[in-house]
Amino acid sequence: MVGAAGGSSALLKTSLALGLMPDEPYTGPVKVKPAAKGQNPTALILGAGLAGLSTALELERAGYDCTILEASFRPGGRNLTVRNGDKIDEMGNPQICQFDKQENMYFNCGPARIPGHHRRLLHYCKTLHVPLQIKANSSKMAYFQDDKSLGGKPKRIVEYHTDARGLMSELLWKSADSNQFDQLLSKEDVAKLKKFSKTYGDLTENGKYIGSDRGGSTTDRMLDYPSPRAPIELKAMLDSSFWYGGLLGSETYDWAEPLMEPTGGMDNVIKAFLRNLKRQPVLNAQVKKIFNRGSGVEVTYEHSGKFHTVKADYCFNNIPAHFMAGIENNFSDNYQSGLNAIKRGHLFKIAFQMKERFWEKDGIYGGISYSKDAIGQIWYPSHDIHAQKGILLGAYTWNEKATKMFEALSQEERLKAGALSGEKIHPGYSKYIENGITIPWSRMNHQMGCGLRMSHDNFEKYYHVLQKPEGRHFMIGDQISHHTGWQEGALASSEQALQQLNKMLAANFNIGEPNYVS
Amino acid sequence: MLAKRYLSFIIFGLLAFHLNAEEVVTPVGLEYCTVCHGAQLKGNENIQAPRLSGLSDWYLERQLLNFKTRVRGDHPDNLTGGEMMLMAKNLTAQEIKDIVKWVTSTDSPKPLATIEGDIKAGEALYQTCSACHGPNATGNKMLGAPNLSGLNDWYIFNQLNHFRLGMRGTHKADTYGQQMRAVSGVITSEKDAANVAAYIHQLK
Repeated sequence: MVGAAGGSSALLKTSLALGLMPDEPYTGPVKVKPAAKGQNPTALILGAGLAGLSTALELERAGYDCTILEASFRPGGRNLTVRNGDKIDEMGNPQICQFDKQENMYFNCGPARIPGHHRRLLHYCKTLHVPLQIKANSSKMAYFQDDKSLGGKPKRIVEYHTDARGLMSELLWKSADSNQFDQLLSKEDVAKLKKFSKTYGDLTENGKYIGSDRGGSTTDRMLDYPSPRAPIELKAMLDSSFWYGGLLGSETYDWAEPLMEPTGGMDNVIKAFLRNLKRQPVLNAQVKKIFNRGSGVEVTYEHSGKFHTVKADYCFNNIPAHFMAGIENNFSDNYQSGLNAIKRGHLFKIAFQMKERFWEKDGIYGGISYSKDAIGQIWYPSHDIHAQKGILLGAYTWNEKATKMFEALSQEERLKAGALSGEKIHPGYSKYIENGITIPWSRMNHQMGCGLRMSHDNFEKYYHVLQKPEGRHFMIGDQISHHTGWQEGALASSEQALQQLNKMLAANFNIGEPNYVS
Repeated sequence: MLAKRYLSFIIFGLLAFHLNAEEVVTPVGLEYCTVCHGAQLKGNENIQAPRLSGLSDWYLERQLLNFKTRVRGDHPDNLTGGEMMLMAKNLTAQEIKDIVKWVTSTDSPKPLATIEGDIKAGEALYQTCSACHGPNATGNKMLGAPNLSGLNDWYIFNQLNHFRLGMRGTHKADTYGQQMRAVSGVITSEKDAANVAAYIHQLK
């Protein structure tokens, strides 16, 4: 552990020296080389998801005439916020959202949180005037529950966290005490390490963990001395899965607090782009053919029972890659193989309208409870604290086994499974449920997947192929990033593609003439 | 200005030389089908959705009905079958007729080979199949045996495995499926299935 700590500080120094740390100020999206006077370059954008819309916006700013084709009845792709009356277009299970018709009753079915280092997205939120608010991604008052641990009883994360730290610190103290670090540390260092473990885990003077009031008290702390609960036994801690749910749930970089969300729903990001675009997307336009021609890209789509063929100087394609084999094209075998290598990801969410914000009575304001059941997580809304009702996220999982299980269930069965798992954390949970929706992303019309991914080998083989244009056709979307399932990944892919376009333009060829960059 | 631009798009569309006259539009409301099965129902292996153009009306109708009534696809391990079952769940008899009419009017290029198999070994095994599906695998309506020529090899491979593993052809109402499961007993491994799929694929 100590060796690793030394290693990481060495790594930090190296990273800083190499300029790998994100300490450079972000200067905003790529500026596409403006069209020359008298020229009216054109672009076809396939898919009105975030990558498509941001690409269109930057191209329009440079004087391009953009046509956005969207297969669905709505723009936004997986950035989907539903409210009363909205359609959830699941294949074979279309749902209409029955939430109360109120401003605060909405659910972000796709992306739902923005960390402070997603600078591309935050830049657009700022410049396109999308108001943000803090979204609590963790609540120490929320629970962790596992049927197989602690008798299946829900445990407050704060208690769990405190005990886990205490028990691990005690082990650290013991190793320091028994001269385990002779080779690495001086006597003085060992003393410091013991002091650290004592402070970190709230140990006694002789290095024992006997519980801590950091995890709350069995008495009223305002009127009495605090009295900690008896701690979890070390064996019970090891038998549980504390390294994920209770402990590390909000420890990854993308979940580094504080997170943000647009006030009123994530789709405000989409609405902001639409407000700023000169031409709105053509909806219900399903692409059937994409052909690279010498001087541009030709796309055939179907709209209201008619074929339309359109041509433009460039095409930016945001269509999920797994659909491309079903669309006629003249891509090279290697390019098409790369597209085929991107696999559908599975991700599933449930949202319940709760007639009462019962969790707030239990001290939970925002944040997440973790369940070892298939539901994975329960999210408590950070907005509209103390309102009467609230929309609770009742399941969030990308575990393939769990998502496939949910996908195969009927709507009623999914909601019932969600309610039963919720009961284990909050007894009486079901009786608060007024209605619910389910979103299996790999069954959603025109998406059929979320968290598209390639194997490590395929990344090596194809990622760079798909990052480059083939002819004048550019693939975009979070699928062409290392950050699939995040809007920042989508924006990065768009930025990357527009940089390629600038390179192409700098290579001194005239729009309308064949090009040989591929 | 915008209108003019649109107009030029439309004119271009009308004049587009590659637009095959045989291509049929997707009937409104059936766009769902092409999301997975692709343009002109050419099939998409990434979604495990087979090519449908080239299948006979009577076979399509039977399968849609089987999916609708959970006679086909209702096995916990058959995920794609389960997906299709959901899509057919609420179809009316008239809708099934309309779908079949549309599907049989589509045309798409025959799929490319994706499976490497021992064609000689496949040919030997196919002798059993040939009794119903015919020497060229074009099917036999009288016997209820569908056309296999023009189906994706990976789809044939998967279905043979489904029959072999009891994921298809076990429902008591699936008369033809049960028959198929019985006679496909000659295929006893994934390798056999691959060999037969490869053999069928190369038949003209």
